[in-house]
Amino acid sequence: MRLEHIVLHNLRRRKGRAIFLVVGLMIGVATVVTLLSLTDALSMRAQNELENFGANIIITPRSDQLDLNYGGVQLGGVNLVAREIEQASLVNIDDIPNRRNVATIGPKVLGTVEVQGQRVMMMGVDPVAEFKLKRWWSIAGRPVKQGAELLVGDALVKRFGLAMGDTLQLNGQAFTVVGLLAKTGSQDDQLLISPLPAAQAILGKEGKVSMVEIAALCHDCPVDDMVNQLQQVLPGTDVQAVQQVVKTRMHALDQFRLFAWGVAVTVVIIGALLVFVTMMGAISERTREIGIFRAIGYRRRHVLHLVLMEAAIVSVLAGVMGYLAGVLATLVTLPLLDGGKAIWHWNPTLALTAVAAALIVGLMAALQPALRASRLEPSEALRAL
Amino acid sequence: MTLINLQQVTKRYINGADCVTALDHLSLSIKEGAFLGVMGPSGSGKSTLLSVLGALTRPTSGKVTIDEIDIYGLATEQQADFRREYLGFIFQSHNLIPYLNALENVMLPLAVSKFSAVEKRRRASAMLERVGLPDRMLHLPQQLSGGEQERVAIARALVNSPPLLLADEPTGSLDTATSQQVMELLAELHRGGQTIVMVTHNRDNLEWFDRTLYLRDGLIEKDTGSSDCGLSQAM
Repeated sequence: MRLEHIVLHNLRRRKGRAIFLVVGLMIGVATVVTLLSLTDALSMRAQNELENFGANIIITPRSDQLDLNYGGVQLGGVNLVAREIEQASLVNIDDIPNRRNVATIGPKVLGTVEVQGQRVMMMGVDPVAEFKLKRWWSIAGRPVKQGAELLVGDALVKRFGLAMGDTLQLNGQAFTVVGLLAKTGSQDDQLLISPLPAAQAILGKEGKVSMVEIAALCHDCPVDDMVNQLQQVLPGTDVQAVQQVVKTRMHALDQFRLFAWGVAVTVVIIGALLVFVTMMGAISERTREIGIFRAIGYRRRHVLHLVLMEAAIVSVLAGVMGYLAGVLATLVTLPLLDGGKAIWHWNPTLALTAVAAALIVGLMAALQPALRASRLEPSEALRAL
Repeated sequence: MTLINLQQVTKRYINGADCVTALDHLSLSIKEGAFLGVMGPSGSGKSTLLSVLGALTRPTSGKVTIDEIDIYGLATEQQADFRREYLGFIFQSHNLIPYLNALENVMLPLAVSKFSAVEKRRRASAMLERVGLPDRMLHLPQQLSGGEQERVAIARALVNSPPLLLADEPTGSLDTATSQQVMELLAELHRGGQTIVMVTHNRDNLEWFDRTLYLRDGLIEKDTGSSDCGLSQAM
């Protein structure tokens, strides 16, 4: 027989109150776990989207002219001659401190060529990098790989009636159409896309690139720092971060996270009040019992121990059950949010925090009733004496 | 040998503007091994005397020593230790913990002791056997008769082998036959050397006491053992 036996017996005897306490706290913990799990899952999803978003840093030659442009590449208003970046200088990107955050480097060369008497824009790309950056591109046929191959934008396909396997003479060189780009609604629809070396050759820009797109974002990448670092290793260029869409999304998630924490704090306060009121009621109910304990020689700390241990058992139970209920609620809710793309991830820190928080809240809320119980004068508690 | 000594003990309760004197400069000595009955009308100070002897109610003035320990000179937690080691309480309404069986109720004072689980169980079982309840150990209080509950209460009071047993109307809620059994048990303990102070209204119990104290308005009205028990009352 130890104090723990008394606590367990008491909980068993007053099952209704114990269940009420456990369920009350459990709902609180479950709500908090659900909200935080949802926020985590949606954040992680947003982070993944961020990484798949494409270029979020664009490097262009420094230019004061504002006319014809693609993605910030200034082609000049009159002579259509753009300043270029030395392709060899791109190796300097490897020297920036945040190189590990650079996922993809997509150099491009831009220029105009004549097709059936009309000037159209041609873009030379590093096929592997480019198709990694433009995950949303939908291609009939296949992407360009090497040599004189062309991927043709939707607007040009329609304008020139091009089809797979057609050959175009560009500045005297024959290019084969290997892929047709589905409509993107962007300037990409107006492009002839070919591998970088072929485009450089035909445009007379060997060793030059017109712009570089970099995919570097992850959720907490220091993009602004990276912009500064790139600017330093690539003098004569403009480096710009393009992340408005993602920033907006992350801002919305941050707002949701704030809301989640607000609700969490409210629920925790309600849970604490529930424990406090219930334990106070329990102490009043057990006044005589506590008087007996004190009369037969229990110290104040023994009484404190009895009440706090009861609160601890209830709280840990509520914490564990609340966590499991929260995970379940998250698994049920998640498919309904974000098109079902967000995935729940096991987060041991959240599990431990949920149980620990329930325990701390339970103990803190029970502290005052426990102190009150321990300070009961045995003679006052025992009206019989 | 004197076990209990009260010197000029006064206890006043303040209830709003009223001041009630429950014990009025009471001085009293009780020998070791005595079976002292305390009688008197309601409000005479019987329960307050028991409470003061039990280190439960601090007197307004005066000194209480048990086994030469000034019990109100002890710190609160030491008073709890004192109660556990020196005193056994039998309450008027048994005051058993309803969700613990008889054995667990008897083990209650041992729960905060350093005895092993086996030793605690052995002592509690032995005590229940001593009070005649060897076959009721696993019964909850509500499954026991009033007399059996009283016996469990007595066993619980004695499980720590305290030098002093304090009983507050232990037969108050029992029928005559059961009261007789309980008094026989207490008398047997007394014959074994146990010091007992018992508050009672029941004059039928007088025959069991070797000394009876009559209280009225916080004063000793009569003491049947004043000559050899060192009784004195402050004037």
